[in-house]
Amino acid sequence: MSRSVLAGAVLALAGILSALPVSAAGAPAGLPIDNTAQVNYTLGAATLTEPSNTVRIVVAEIVDVIVTLQSPAVTVSPGAAAQVLVYRITNTGNGLEPFRLSIDSALGGDDFDPVPATPAIYFDTDGSGTLTPADTPYTPGSNDPALAADAFTTVLVSNAIPAPLANGNRGFSLLRAASLTGTGAPGTVFAGQGTAGTDAVAGNSGGDGDATGTYLVADLRLTAVKSAIVLDPSGSARPVPLARITYQVVVTPTGSGAATAVVFTDPIPANTTYVPASLQLNGTPLTDAADADGGSLETAPTRAVRVALGTLTQASGPQTVTFAVTID
Amino acid sequence: MHTGTISKLVIGALALAATSAAAAEGARKGCVELKTVAETEVEYVDEQGQRATKLVPAAKVIPGTQVVWTVTASNVCDKAAEKVFIDNPIPAQMSYVPDSALAAGADIQFSTDGRQFAEPASLRVSEADGTQRAARSSDYTHIRWSLRNPIGPGQVAVARYRAALK
Repeated sequence: MSRSVLAGAVLALAGILSALPVSAAGAPAGLPIDNTAQVNYTLGAATLTEPSNTVRIVVAEIVDVIVTLQSPAVTVSPGAAAQVLVYRITNTGNGLEPFRLSIDSALGGDDFDPVPATPAIYFDTDGSGTLTPADTPYTPGSNDPALAADAFTTVLVSNAIPAPLANGNRGFSLLRAASLTGTGAPGTVFAGQGTAGTDAVAGNSGGDGDATGTYLVADLRLTAVKSAIVLDPSGSARPVPLARITYQVVVTPTGSGAATAVVFTDPIPANTTYVPASLQLNGTPLTDAADADGGSLETAPTRAVRVALGTLTQASGPQTVTFAVTID
Repeated sequence: MHTGTISKLVIGALALAATSAAAAEGARKGCVELKTVAETEVEYVDEQGQRATKLVPAAKVIPGTQVVWTVTASNVCDKAAEKVFIDNPIPAQMSYVPDSALAAGADIQFSTDGRQFAEPASLRVSEADGTQRAARSSDYTHIRWSLRNPIGPGQVAVARYRAALK
């Protein structure tokens, strides 16, 4: 009661107090809106003021949800377990609404069907965007996410990848969120089932939403070809002491997908000494110190040149690393 | 001006306190009885198969819906009520629909604060930075219908506007 009196007082002062918050979908479900008109008039010499009755309307609930895929196509290897797609479920209605989640990995239009893990749906409890032991598994009917208007939750879907598969094969997996109040054509009324007992009405989404993620089989292979040029002090190519050997290693990515955090290392051969500042990547000198340029001379556990190549795809093309040693 | 604001506040509070008591009190009324009705417009197909609209009572409304507010003033005395004006605050969470205020034989003014009423062209509002601009219909907080003629005994005046639920 105290709340409705307060709301009434706010309305009586409309224009003096600022409006209550409005969600993206509009006024919050269950909010009572009161309206009282007033008449002023004179009757002979008397000036009179009378209020009208107060009419109350209640904001009905719009049931709306949007599911969006947060991850790009996930590159996977055949036979890989626990490959994770990231989705966001957003309540685009105007009231608190619980949603039932389900997945479908047996969709058409793809090359293979991912195999849902058990359990397959997790809340991103730790907010990491990846599946970790801290994430809570979803159990339908037990922890259906209840989202306030405009609120969202991040959900992880885990599938295994069957084998064998060919490079470039795609597998689809769909996450669906459906309002527990009901789903139906936009405009469908669920009488009395909305927030605070008001009516609920299916919004543009019809009360449910889904998004489809893609697994892409990518067997990116890296091949390395090493060659050496020997230059001895006399100007010929004999591998004698003090002769300089320039090594060239060409790393070529082939296949689909991407390899991330690729690191090239090559030990300095026994009985040779690295020529300082001889390390180059694609013709660009790299310093020997471990710094931003990605190239360095490692001293432990063994002496080796190291070049961080980052993310490679077939489009990256061959990567040429050169360095030089002298024969002891 | 201040007196007017205070009396409005008192009336607003009394109206709330009196909503349930009003029915019992019943008999004590002035000469002009004011009745507010909320309706929404729905489309239907009439006997001739034509699309038509009708107003149905509004109780539960989804955001975006236009509510038709109708205020009826009935003179229940045997004397004419003169210099009649009807004020209606546009509910918070609702936005006045431009050009929707109607009333036969009335001058319609708006307010953005419930105190100063004026024709739309001369209404101005202050921005947060202190500058002034012409008021938009979404700025309106109150509507006033000033009847040009008295309401005679047994006569009725009707004022109406639309406001959309935000």
